Amino acid sequence: MNLDQALQTFITESRELLADMEHALLNIDLSQDWGDQGEAINAIFRAAHTIKGSAGLFSLDHMVAFTHVVESLLDAVRDGRAVIDDDMVALLLACCDHLSSMTDGLAAGQYEADPDTVPEGERLLQQLRRRMGAGDEPAQSLAEQPLTVRPEPDVERMGQAAGNGDSDYWHISLRFGRSVLQNGMDPIAFLRYLARLGRIAGMATVADALPAADEMDAELCYLGFEIAFESTADRAAILGVFEFVQDDCEIRLVAPRGKVSEYVELIRALPENPIRLGEMLVQCGSVTAAELAAALAQQSQQSQHPEVQGEAGAQPAQEAPQRLGSILVAAGQVAPVVVEAALTRQKQAVEQKAQENRSIRVDSDKLDRLIDLVGELIIAGARTSVIGQRLHNAELLEATSTVSNLVEQVRDAALELRMVKIGATFNRFQRVVHDVARELGKDIGLAVDGEDAELDKTVVEKIGDPLLHLVRNAMDHGIEPAAVRVAAGKPARGMITLNAFHESGSIVIEVSDDGGGLRKEKILAKAVERGLVDPERKLTDAEIYNLIFEAGFSTAETITNLSGRGVGMDVVKRNITALRGSVDVRSVEGQGATVTVRLPLTLAIIDGFLVQVGSSVFVIPLDTIEECIEFAAEPGQDYSNLRGQVLPFIRLRSLFHIAGAPTRRESIVVLRFGKVRAGLVVDTLLGEFQTVIKPLSPIFSEVRCISGSTILGSGDVALILDVGALLQAVDGRGAVAPAPALPALAV
Amino acid sequence: MSDIGHLAWDGEINIYRAADLKLEVLQALRAAPVLEIDLAGVTELDTAGLQVLMLAKRTATIEQRELRLRNHSPAVVDVVEMLNLGAFFGDAVLIHS
Amino acid sequence: MNLAITKHGAAPLPTQYLTFLLGEERFAVGILHVKEIIEYAGTATVPMMPDCVRGVINLRGAVVPVIDLSARFGRGVAAIGKRTSIIIAEIEDGEGKQVLGMMVDAVNAVVEIEPPDIEAAPPFGAHIRADFIAGIAKCQGRFVILLALERVLSTGEVVELSRHAVPLATASSRASP
Repeated sequence: MNLDQALQTFITESRELLADMEHALLNIDLSQDWGDQGEAINAIFRAAHTIKGSAGLFSLDHMVAFTHVVESLLDAVRDGRAVIDDDMVALLLACCDHLSSMTDGLAAGQYEADPDTVPEGERLLQQLRRRMGAGDEPAQSLAEQPLTVRPEPDVERMGQAAGNGDSDYWHISLRFGRSVLQNGMDPIAFLRYLARLGRIAGMATVADALPAADEMDAELCYLGFEIAFESTADRAAILGVFEFVQDDCEIRLVAPRGKVSEYVELIRALPENPIRLGEMLVQCGSVTAAELAAALAQQSQQSQHPEVQGEAGAQPAQEAPQRLGSILVAAGQVAPVVVEAALTRQKQAVEQKAQENRSIRVDSDKLDRLIDLVGELIIAGARTSVIGQRLHNAELLEATSTVSNLVEQVRDAALELRMVKIGATFNRFQRVVHDVARELGKDIGLAVDGEDAELDKTVVEKIGDPLLHLVRNAMDHGIEPAAVRVAAGKPARGMITLNAFHESGSIVIEVSDDGGGLRKEKILAKAVERGLVDPERKLTDAEIYNLIFEAGFSTAETITNLSGRGVGMDVVKRNITALRGSVDVRSVEGQGATVTVRLPLTLAIIDGFLVQVGSSVFVIPLDTIEECIEFAAEPGQDYSNLRGQVLPFIRLRSLFHIAGAPTRRESIVVLRFGKVRAGLVVDTLLGEFQTVIKPLSPIFSEVRCISGSTILGSGDVALILDVGALLQAVDGRGAVAPAPALPALAV
Repeated sequence: MSDIGHLAWDGEINIYRAADLKLEVLQALRAAPVLEIDLAGVTELDTAGLQVLMLAKRTATIEQRELRLRNHSPAVVDVVEMLNLGAFFGDAVLIHS
Repeated sequence: MNLAITKHGAAPLPTQYLTFLLGEERFAVGILHVKEIIEYAGTATVPMMPDCVRGVINLRGAVVPVIDLSARFGRGVAAIGKRTSIIIAEIEDGEGKQVLGMMVDAVNAVVEIEPPDIEAAPPFGAHIRADFIAGIAKCQGRFVILLALERVLSTGEVVELSRHAVPLATASSRASP
């Protein structure tokens, strides 16, 4: 992997970590006490820590330096030296943002601090340090006590009952790996964290591995520790303290009231001289000297009779891990407990890796290329089928049919790859709602539903901004200030709800608020004032509410810097329409409003049905078609009698002003979209056809009934009908007037 | 030329400076029979920093020189105490308030 | 006939122009805008668009809109002749690079026109919109109108036209009480 790729991975992963961090920060329940917040705080610490470490690998000093201070504060929180509150959450969120902008800078090729953001960074660092300053007090009080240390090694023996190794303490043996410091971890910090779980009753620092001055590399770690630890925590909790270093540290635990034999095993497992080790165990009080001596003697005896004998007599048994010292015993017995423990760990690590590998990161461009190729494959397949039909060759037809089936399966599988859950997009809004609510001084919460609804990744990317604007709008104009809400008998906290679900081949996203709702009269008055609506016209409520999407419309008394920055609802609508979607708003005055966005599930490939009118070929999305029938109309009317029900229809020829006379036997394609059902009168039915959607040039953005184009097997271009827009012409109410003729163009 | 070398360590004594500090300390140690390091200004001491001190102490012992640590700041005291290294360094760790 | 200009031989110079005919008049566009020239073989009509948008064509898998220059210049819809061609042009506008086809009556040669030989558009007398004209030059004894292609092929303007061209049947039908 070259540096560029590695850096790209770092950028992507940092972004994910920052998202995790933000998520954890937003969800931390400040009402819980420190103990219960533990997991959330750990998650936040984990993110910052990992970013720091990785940034270090790339020598991104500005990021490392900044994250270091963030990490220190989080450390202080973990230790209980600082308490996390609302302001700290806001501060940490701001730090998240700062790191985000540094990451963005990286992506743009900037490997050093951006001078524009440095002041902001400094400001944040100052605030961080100030929050940590509160944690300095315990250290101050320590300074008040004069302290001397006896020059002789302490044998700190804690209350032990008579008998064999009755220590009430855990014994923790740590041997940190050489590269632990370079990996960004500080053993001392871990020991401090350990001390939160109990009391370090005895400690021996093992510096045997420290080499001579000239050979010592100051950035490697040569230290180990033998610790007697008093705590009610269980094994898992103690091991959990060292979670982040478990790959960089050998950790061995002996439970309280561990037998001396366990200590012997421990000694055998450790690399240092056993006498030294024995001394250290005694020094930290886990065993007494007498016990140890006795046990060692016992072991010595046992080893005189090795159980494993090679062919040539008393040959020393092969030892699995080399560090099981053979110092004590000539023919050392492999300590099964320790080896088993080591093997189990290995197996767990392997299993964990297997779990992680079940999902795979894919380059977006590669995926797009795959989809393009699948699209070309579909077109080529269609062409082959056409030829097969023309040649009337049964064998060829069967072969092309098989190919078509397979192509269809490949297509579905490829499209599946592009489907992304909308949950990630929704959860981004947690942060927005949090920040904007603070800014507005309102109490607003966000509820999210339907996070598992999937949609095409390109749609997800493009729907983010419009949704964001809808949410901000609801917060700004929809939700009332707390006092107003309470006076109206509503809870002080306003709620924004995001919901997503699938419906007839589309994905529907709803943005609701329980605010004041839309004011009909106000909207109508404004629209009339701005000349958007003829004052004589009578509009339905729905039509009035939808006026807010017209260009040049805004009823906000004060244009806040959030919603009114010239980015209006009309832009939202335009963006959604560009995705071949539709947007609609409903409201109940005093209770709230819901904006409903409807989008196609995929922008890439379509199962369609071809129809012809005149010389033009059109594609109708297959999932909108109920059936096809012969043309028949009630005399003089624009509707048909379909098994006793009224079926209004649209003559495509007149709607599109297609020249020429209709064929003798026209057909009606019965369409359904949402709640509307209508027929489409066409000359000829051409059959099913799956194809790749080619987006239309922006020059056609105002054409309402066409949602895209495609290339047929013959090479001709066919237009894809936007059934939703077409059916709006009918609206379930009956006759459709043909579109007026195009006015003469003044150029 | 005095017989006692003096160094003063300030600020964060951590992995970022460990390599440089190691060189500095060894050089100073070998320049005079006695080296005193004033630790009053130390605000942070991490494992890397501690190792440099431990290395210096051990080297002094091996090469029959003397290393004295003075005016341990609270950050230093904290670490020395927690890791039970008072004996190792053999200094009287007195804190002036 | 597909003529790919440039790529063979010398790189295109900013002083080179492709000349073509619209009726009797000669026009020219900067060669740097021209991607290729193809024979006219019909277009797929897109409904409810102004006359200046003839339709779309399939250009090696891409769906490209074709502008009827005659209609665009207010001279009515073009009649298809023996030498009717489509010039595939690329322009840059607010939305990025756009590829569009221009329907012309005949394509002529690539000529060299030096800046000193270009005069500003006359205030009157030209039969097309003043802002479509980048300048007028004399070439081989004849006047050639250099087109301001970004204006002629302006997506924004065409979209505006289409917006006013057709209100959907809906609005008018719903409007009636």
